[in-house]
Amino acid sequence: MLALDLLINGLIYGCFYALTAVGLAMIFGVLKVVNFAHGEFFMIGAYTYVLVSLKLGVSPWIALPGAAIAGALLGWVVERLLMRPLYAGYASWGFMKDEYAVVVTFGLSLLLINLVDKTVGPYSFRGPSLVDFGRFALGPVMLTGQKAIAALVAVALMVGLALFIRRSVWGLQIQAVAQNRLGASLAGIDATRTTSLIFVISGALAALSGALLAPLVNPSPDIGAFPAIKSFVIVVLGGMGSIWGAMIAALIIGVAEAFFSVYISYDYRDAFGLIVLVAVLLFRPQGLLGEKGREL
Amino acid sequence: MSPGGRLWSERLRFDAQATLVLCAALALVPLVVTGPYALGIILISIYFAIIALAWNLLAGYAGQFSLAPAAFAMIGAYTTALLDHYWQVPLALGIPAAVVSTALLGGVLGKLVLKLSGPYLSLTTLAFAEIARVVIGNSHEFTRGDQGMHVATLTQSRVAYYYIFLATLVAVVAVLYAMLRGRLGRFMTALRDDPVGASSRGIDVVRTKSIAFCVSCALCGLAGSLYGTFSQLVSPELGLLQQTGLVLAMVVIGGMSSLTGAVAGALLVYLSSEWMRGFGNVQIIVFALLVIVFARYLPGGLWGLVAGRLQRGRR
Amino acid sequence: MIVSRIRSLATLAAAAGFALPALAQQNPILIGVSLTQSPPGSVVQGTQVKDGMEILKDIVNAKGGVLGRQIRILYEDNQGIPEKGRAAVEKLISSDKVVALAGGHQSSVCLAEIEVAHRLKVPYVNTNCWSDDVRKRGYPEVFNTSPYNTLVSSSMASTLATMGVKRVVAFAENTDYGIGQAKLTGEMLKQNAPQIEYKYETLDRTSKDFTAAVLPLRANPPDVIVLSMLPPAAYLVMNQVYEQGVAPSAKTILYDGAGLADYPDFWQNVKESGKYLLSFALYHPQMKQTPLATQIAAEYKKRTGSDINRLVLQAADSLELVIQGIETAKSTDADKLIKAMQTMKFDSLRGISNFSTAPGHSYQQWLEVPYVNYELTAEKQPIAQTVLIQAPGQKFDPAKIVRPK
Repeated sequence: MLALDLLINGLIYGCFYALTAVGLAMIFGVLKVVNFAHGEFFMIGAYTYVLVSLKLGVSPWIALPGAAIAGALLGWVVERLLMRPLYAGYASWGFMKDEYAVVVTFGLSLLLINLVDKTVGPYSFRGPSLVDFGRFALGPVMLTGQKAIAALVAVALMVGLALFIRRSVWGLQIQAVAQNRLGASLAGIDATRTTSLIFVISGALAALSGALLAPLVNPSPDIGAFPAIKSFVIVVLGGMGSIWGAMIAALIIGVAEAFFSVYISYDYRDAFGLIVLVAVLLFRPQGLLGEKGREL
Repeated sequence: MSPGGRLWSERLRFDAQATLVLCAALALVPLVVTGPYALGIILISIYFAIIALAWNLLAGYAGQFSLAPAAFAMIGAYTTALLDHYWQVPLALGIPAAVVSTALLGGVLGKLVLKLSGPYLSLTTLAFAEIARVVIGNSHEFTRGDQGMHVATLTQSRVAYYYIFLATLVAVVAVLYAMLRGRLGRFMTALRDDPVGASSRGIDVVRTKSIAFCVSCALCGLAGSLYGTFSQLVSPELGLLQQTGLVLAMVVIGGMSSLTGAVAGALLVYLSSEWMRGFGNVQIIVFALLVIVFARYLPGGLWGLVAGRLQRGRR
Repeated sequence: MIVSRIRSLATLAAAAGFALPALAQQNPILIGVSLTQSPPGSVVQGTQVKDGMEILKDIVNAKGGVLGRQIRILYEDNQGIPEKGRAAVEKLISSDKVVALAGGHQSSVCLAEIEVAHRLKVPYVNTNCWSDDVRKRGYPEVFNTSPYNTLVSSSMASTLATMGVKRVVAFAENTDYGIGQAKLTGEMLKQNAPQIEYKYETLDRTSKDFTAAVLPLRANPPDVIVLSMLPPAAYLVMNQVYEQGVAPSAKTILYDGAGLADYPDFWQNVKESGKYLLSFALYHPQMKQTPLATQIAAEYKKRTGSDINRLVLQAADSLELVIQGIETAKSTDADKLIKAMQTMKFDSLRGISNFSTAPGHSYQQWLEVPYVNYELTAEKQPIAQTVLIQAPGQKFDPAKIVRPK
């Protein structure tokens, strides 16, 4: 039946969105800025996956961590070169923190899109599927091998992330820096290195979600726009800085969008998420699990 | 007056004078450049200069980092186009109508983001801009969607249109100078630098913010409407986020919080992007790099580099 | 005094700038092409148009050019945006001084561009803009060698009627081409086969996820799903329709009304979902080919490694029209060129014929554009091996349709 179909598909896409959005939530939690180039991390991941497996002829399962590495590297470079000024004690230079972040990440986004367009070309490629079996029926719902496996991988990654943040030393450091940067560094935590780690993780996760979705969305250089906007909506809805919030919000958005586009309007489907974003910012700016739920 | 005040009004006056010198130079251009295509290119850069000034008022002076300037230009253009298409409203009414509609919508946006700041504000304006673009672009029945709508034109003469745009630019500079020179300008910069402190000193933050939004959006709408009549075609691509990015690049490279920076940045960026077209579309890559470099190392923009020296030289 | 000196200096510089390359090229004939080379337009189409034109240009230049002069094509990227197309055409005409324009391949952009061509009275050859509105404007400067929605829709409508189906759903992209074709097909079905239940859904061509549009069809799949969409959205729709098991299936046929089955990036984007696609197609190796067309096909295969497709031929054909027009008029003067193209007999590469000046969708359109219907029955299948459901000049034979198990 239609409602069940929409629910399952919405949840599956919600898992993918969640993977993309948690990185953004983390960056916001620590730096309180929005990374407007986030969609391009997704794009780089998707392209790395497609190119590595097609051109180098390796198995997609190897290309997947390849994408993660590319995203991690990109995240590290961006933090090192562009984001340091935000907190590393640079004297006043006429730009406020937020303006700087917006301008720089916007510029970065344009740069990456056009670089890829110039070097790889503007055609889209359907990424290779992770598994060989195509569509199959799971009860009343139709799925494909790729969707099912990718959803499982996404969930596994998020569980891994949650455990990492909760249990590992680095994870605790991340939480500390997110709560209070000064306090954390007074307690002996290297805040700069922690921030670097966050960017690396964020980049890797976004890239992985790009790789997982590559067989589903046929990446082209401008593919980053749609995960970026979705991620903004999700991070705002979930509460900026809250990883759990982002995950829950992602599932909600995935399902709500599916139902909205069928029962209300297909044409304005993209506007739906944006309206949610505006509504949340107006009426409940801290989102679902906002500042209140800072710890994970 | 305190020494700080003298410095601010001096800098502003110098800034405005420099801009007028630029405009005077622009006025002489049609004597040298006669090809209609080349003139059209400079005309379009003046269109961007007006939007850059409008955005600079909102973001550079009032500190409200909106990502919606291109969307408001699109809304202004469509207002005139829809009025013309459905009710044959003459441009003498259609263009002011665009200014009014964008001022009103700008006021609404200002109200929406009243309590927001920083990334929340940027995201809300981004959402607003994208919603507007998606609604206009997908309402195929009303707006003919991607195909765009035909608009009447003021005159067929390219040179006449050039001077219309230039005159509008000068008028906009005059209006902004008048606004910034008085207390309103001071209130805006106070709002940008320290909103809490500003309101504790009795500045009506709500009113200042609203005025900044209304004026900025109205000016964007005016520019968009004029541009629509010039090209006789309006399409949703006027409101693409990429266009906002271009405006951002212009102001960052030219110099935020300065009138000359906005105008010079617009001219420079647009004209060199035209010039670079011959080299296979690398202009966006170059500009993106420039934006990043400027934001990171030269936040005052080109004007910031130049103005200090020029101004000192005068004394 | 100073001004006039500056002006004369500028003129001198400009003249020198123009003269030098011209001396090197001996006054080439400049032809302007505005096409898509970057998103959001269809870059795939733009590339094929460019390829087609370049190949024919090289062939003609090697034989000595036209009227003893070499042809040079100037390309402008319109990104699939009407406003940019308008600006591009303006630049080509007023700044670059091209003698004619060709290569338009996206209807929304064409509609903006023909306005400029009409205002400046320069001939404009419509390579691939299907929307009837391009013709309906009635501009004498515009020559339509492209297929047109009325042709395609009426063919599709009669095909659907012949198939004897009851329910049809069309997915149309939200552009002039998509909505125009979907609406027109619906109207023709109402007239000729009112027993067929038809409806169309408009889809945003920039969207990446169409599952929500596909899912409602699962419960009660129609007999035919018609696609009036272009890549990349078309490929996504095909994939997602296939993934949900809706089409192609034993019950539901997937019917492509955009002629994309022979695009060079088709198979890499659709993979297994392209199997069993029924396609309205404008090229098939069994169609009559002129020697020049065969030569172009061989050259295309040599340069790109892909088999020739209809868009490459359409592009070459539109350039061929300009060339023949110049030869007939013995001049590149716009008025003479337009007159020549209106009155001469066009020796087309694709065998289009029956030039009509009747107002409406047939204004300055070659009405008889050959087409076929074929079905893809294996992945990466070359066009020559597809199953011809409607061979050139024959009737549509639904018995030949292959259904998946």
